[in-house]
Amino acid sequence: MHRLKLGTKLVLFATLSSLCIALLMILILPLFVKIVADRNTNAALRSQKSKVIKEIEANGLDYYLEGDSIYGSYSMLKDEYISIEPGNENQLADQIKTERRIVDQDTIVYRILTHTMRVSDKNYFIEIGRKISSISQDGRAMQKMALYVLAGIVILILLANVFYTRHLLRPLNYINTKLLNIKFPFTDTSPPVKTSTFDFKYLDQVISGLMVQINRDFRKEKEFSSNASHELMTPISIIQSKLENMIADASMRPAQVAKMEEIMRTLHRLKKIAKSLLLISRIDNDQYIREDTTSVKGLIEEVTGELHHRLVQKQLKLNNHLQQNVLLKNVNKVLLFQLFYNVLNNAIQYNKPRGVIDISDQLIGNQKYAVVIKDTGSGISEAQLPFIFDRFKRTTGASPDSNGLGLSIVHSIAQYHNLELAVSSDTSGTAFQIIFSNEHI
Amino acid sequence: MKVLIIEDERSLALEMEHFLKKERFTCDLAFNGKAAREIWCRQSYDFFLLDIGLPDISGLRLLKEIRLDHAEAGIIMITAKGDLEDRIQGLDLGADDYLPKPFSLLEMRARINAVGRRKFQINDFNIQLGGFVIDTRQRTLAYNAVKVELSKKEFDLLSFMALNKNRPLTRLQISEHLWPDSAMDDYDSNYIDVHIKNIRKKLQAYEPPDWLETVRGIGYKIHCID
Repeated sequence: MHRLKLGTKLVLFATLSSLCIALLMILILPLFVKIVADRNTNAALRSQKSKVIKEIEANGLDYYLEGDSIYGSYSMLKDEYISIEPGNENQLADQIKTERRIVDQDTIVYRILTHTMRVSDKNYFIEIGRKISSISQDGRAMQKMALYVLAGIVILILLANVFYTRHLLRPLNYINTKLLNIKFPFTDTSPPVKTSTFDFKYLDQVISGLMVQINRDFRKEKEFSSNASHELMTPISIIQSKLENMIADASMRPAQVAKMEEIMRTLHRLKKIAKSLLLISRIDNDQYIREDTTSVKGLIEEVTGELHHRLVQKQLKLNNHLQQNVLLKNVNKVLLFQLFYNVLNNAIQYNKPRGVIDISDQLIGNQKYAVVIKDTGSGISEAQLPFIFDRFKRTTGASPDSNGLGLSIVHSIAQYHNLELAVSSDTSGTAFQIIFSNEHI
Repeated sequence: MKVLIIEDERSLALEMEHFLKKERFTCDLAFNGKAAREIWCRQSYDFFLLDIGLPDISGLRLLKEIRLDHAEAGIIMITAKGDLEDRIQGLDLGADDYLPKPFSLLEMRARINAVGRRKFQINDFNIQLGGFVIDTRQRTLAYNAVKVELSKKEFDLLSFMALNKNRPLTRLQISEHLWPDSAMDDYDSNYIDVHIKNIRKKLQAYEPPDWLETVRGIGYKIHCID
C-alpha cells in the first residue's frame, strides 16, 4: 500500500467505503422491510377488527354464528381469515402474534390478531389473520431492487471520484513532473502551478523558493571560488617574478639560491591549486564552448605523447587497443584533452613500476561509446571509491605531489559534456570508463 | 628594443623591468591607463606589455588605441582572468600574443622573442653554441652544417635554455616550459635530468658541450661568452 499514488489511494478509499455502506444497507434492508411490513399488517389487522366489531354490533353475533358455536371464513386464496369462537379466559387486551396454521394440508404462516369480545355475558375470541409469505416476498424484491440501485450508485461514486481526484491532483502531478525533470543548477522557468487548492499553491511556492535559494547559494559559491583563485594569480605572479630575478642574481650564495628554488617549487604547488580551482569554476560556470569535433585516437595519441616521458621513466607498457574510428562531436577539445590527460596521468602515477596500461574502446549498441583506461596499480579500496571525485579528497596512498583536484576536474569536465564515468577497482588495478552518449558520437 | 610595461601592480612591473633591462631592453613603466597614454604619446615603442585589467581604463580600449598609434609595435596582453572571451577579443583587436597570470619571466621573454622575430624580420634566427648552431626558424640543430638529430622535446629544451643563456634555470622552470598543459602533474625533476643526459650524449659525438653546465642544487645553465 505504501507504493500507491495519492490519487489511487483516494479513489480506492472512496470506493471501498461506499461499497461497505451499500453492503450494510442491503444486509439490514430485510429487517427494515419486516418491521415496516409488520407495522402495516398490524394496522391493517386492527382496522379489519374494528370493521368486524362494527358488523357484529350492527347485525348481532348470531348473524355470523347461525346457531353454531364457531364461525370461520377464509378468503379464496387463504390470504386472510377470520374466526369467532367462544372463550373462557378473560382476555382484555388485543394480542398480535405470528403463528403457523395448517389449512387444507398447507402450512401457512399468519400474522394473527386476537380480540376478546363479551356478548351477552359470554366471551368470544375473534381471530383475524393475514398471510405473511406475501409480506416477505415483497421484502426480497425490494432487496434485489436496492442491490441494483446501490450498485449503480457505487459505480457513479467511483467514476465521479476518479474524475474529481484526477482534476484535484493535477497541480500535484505538475509539481511532481517539475521536480522529476529539473537538473541542478535549476534553470527551469516553468510557470507557477495553476490551482485553487491552497496547499498545492503553497507547496509550489515553497519549492520554487528553495530552488531559487539553492541556485543563489551555488552561484555565490562558484563566484567565490572563481574570484578567490583569480585574486591569487597576481600575488603569485609577483612572488614568482621576484624569485626568478633573485635566482639569476650572480651575487646570491648557492645555499640561498637552493632555498629560493624550494620556495619556487612550493609556489608552483600553490599555483597549480589555484589554476585547478579556476579551471573547475570556469567549467562549472559554462565558460567553455562545446563545438569541436575530434577523433578519440588523435586525442589519445596527443595525451600519450605529452606523457611519454613519464611512461618511460616508470618503465610502463602502454597498450593502445583502440578499435573504433570514432569522431566526437560537440565537445571542447581542450577540456577533453585535460580529462584524458588526468585519467592517464593517474594510471601512470598509481601504477606499479614496469606495469601495464591498457586503453580500449567499444560501442555499446548504437547509442553509446566507451573508452576504458585500465592500469595495474594497487587499486582503490571500496570504501574510498565513492569519494575519489571530491575536491581535495586524497585517498590513502595518493602521491604527496597530487593536490587532490585531478579527478574533480575530470568529474567537472565529464558533467559538462554529459559523460558517464564508471570506475571499477580491485587489488590488481583500476579501470576507468568514460562513456559518451549519442549526443557526441 | 624599447618596451613599455603597462601594469598596475607596481611590484610586478618593477620585476618585469628588472628582468628585461638585464636582457638589454630599454623599459618604461606606466602604472595606469592614463599615464600610459601620456607616455606613448611622447615616445614610440617597439613593444607593449599591457595588463588587460587596469583600474582606470579598459585594457581592451587601450589596446585599440595603441594599435592606432603604433601600427607596427608588438603587443602582448597580460590577462589575470584568462577569460577566453577577453583573450579572443584581445587577439582580434590586434594583440600579437597573450600571457596569462601567473606567468614566468622566462615565458614572457620567450613570447617577446617569438613575436619580435615574427614582426621585425630579424634575421638572427640562429644561436651559436660552441660549434653548434640552433636555427630557431627551421627548428634544427647543426654542427658544421651537419644536422644533429634531436627529439622535439630535446630541441625545445635546448632552444629554451639557449634563449635564456647565462642564466641558471631550475628544473621546474624548464619543465613548466616543456609541459605547460600539465595542470596537475607532480613536478618531478627527474625527466629533465634524463633529457639533459640524452642531449649531452648526442652532442658529445660531435664536440663536448662544455657550455651546458650543471648548477648544483638548482638545475642547468648554458654558459657562453658572445
